Formats: sequence, structure tokens, C-alpha cells
Amino acid sequence: MNEQIEQDWLDRRLQEAALYIQDDGFTARVLQQLPAPRPAGQFLRPFILVGMSALASALTYVLSDGGRFILVEMFRLTTIPTLWVVAFALASGMLVMAGGIFAAMSKTSYIQH
Amino acid sequence: MELTDAGLVARVLVDDDQHAFGELVRRHQSSVRGLLRQLTRGDLALADDLAQDAFVRAYKNIRSFRGEAKFSTWLYRIAYNCFREDARRRKELVGINEEQWQAEQDPQTVDAGLRHDLMHALSLLPLHERSAVLLCCQNGLSHGEAARVLDIPLGTVKTNVLRGREKLKKTLAVWGSK
Repeated sequence: MNEQIEQDWLDRRLQEAALYIQDDGFTARVLQQLPAPRPAGQFLRPFILVGMSALASALTYVLSDGGRFILVEMFRLTTIPTLWVVAFALASGMLVMAGGIFAAMSKTSYIQH
Repeated sequence: MELTDAGLVARVLVDDDQHAFGELVRRHQSSVRGLLRQLTRGDLALADDLAQDAFVRAYKNIRSFRGEAKFSTWLYRIAYNCFREDARRRKELVGINEEQWQAEQDPQTVDAGLRHDLMHALSLLPLHERSAVLLCCQNGLSHGEAARVLDIPLGTVKTNVLRGREKLKKTLAVWGSK
């Protein structure tokens, strides 16, 4: 019982010691440091990006004679020694893995904050 | 009708409404600055710098607030992370600025001598016990919420609060529980 009374007494003293701190311009200083708000109409950005990509792809297809160069390059790829292909695949895999690890680490620190 | 914290957060998320965020800052600035003042042992300038940093980080990362905990608990966690990072950078914690500390307190509510001893006793606690006592006993967080803020197991929080309280009681024994 005494233990509880002592605990309540201590908690009350601690709460009383935590007095309200006047703002005194603190909020204004924080607001000044915030990044500028997103400009209106930014929701259109992904649609513009997708549209531009589609247009660029169509243009490339037309200018490259129906994508003939892809077939030519695919044929050339079959003539490359197997060891080179394996080395290329390994290097690409490691590059993608490094990117994934970096993205995961960035995301982790973002969540912790 | 006054908006809840969750309502204000929603406005920030949907409309990027900085006025709504300003209201959140106004609501929580006192408790966050108070917590940081005590964690920094009364270094008011450092505590306010850290509090500003914490609110700016909160704004930038508000999308990671999932609403599973109270907004204040999430804020305390950011503030505590800011403090820890700064302490790590400095490699040592700053000393208490007693004169400035006392001048900030209101002599009407708690006896000045007791308050002084209480603050001094708090500043003597190791950081892990001080943080747990401040969050649970002073800011009214549950042990579970404090465990989230401090990123330590629930049992450790309970132990730290218990040990911290015991040490404070010993130091303040002369004042008795009147």
C-alpha cells in the first residue's frame, strides 16, 4: 500500500514538474523549415510520364523499321560464347541485388524515422 | 469542432496542408520540447533544435505514420531518435544548465526545492532509466508505448521504470510522500 502511495506521489511530482512550455514562435520556426508544399496539379505527373513513354516507344518502333534491330541483335546474341553470356547474367544479377539491398536499407531508415 | 490528431494527419497527407501540420506542432510542441529538455539535462537551445528537427522529420515522413499508435507516441519516437543521433554525434551528453533550468520552472505549482532535487535526481539517472521514467511516469505513456518509442523490449522498459523510480525515491526520501 505504502509502495503504491509513494509511487503515485513520485508520478504526481514528475507530472507537476512538466509544465506547459509556451510556444513563443516555435511553431512558426518549424513551419519555416518545412519543404515547399506540392504544387497543384502534380497528380497529373504520372499520366504525363506514361504518355511520354508510350509516345517515345511508338516513335522508336516506327523509326527503327518496325523494331528490326531487335531481331538483328537477338541473332547476334546467339553467336556470343556461352561463358560471356553467363558472366553477363551474373553481373546483371549482382547489380540488381545491390540495388535491392540499397533500396531496402533506405526504406528501413525511412520507417525508423 | 476541433479536429483530432488523426484528422489533421489526414489533411496533411491528402492536401499537403501545412496549416494542419502547424496545428499538430502547436498541440505537441510542449510535451516534445519538455521531453527533450530533460533528456538533454536542461540544455534548452539543444532541446529546441532537436525538437524542430523532429517536427520537420515528422512532416517529411508523415506517410510512414500508419495510425497504429497515437500520433504523440510516433512523435516521441522521432524525437528520441533525433536525441540519440545527436548524442552519438557528440559522443557525450551535455551537462545540466541549472540556472536556466530553474528559471524556466514555475514556482507556484511545485515547491522549488523539491523540483530542483527532482530534476537533479532525474539528471543523475542513466539515460535508459531516465527515458523510461520520463515517458511512463511523466508523459503518461503505457509500458508498451514506451517500448515502441525506445525500440526496446517491453520487459526492459518495465525494469528500467522500476529501477529509475527506486533511485528517484531514494534520492528524494528526505521529502517524504506528503
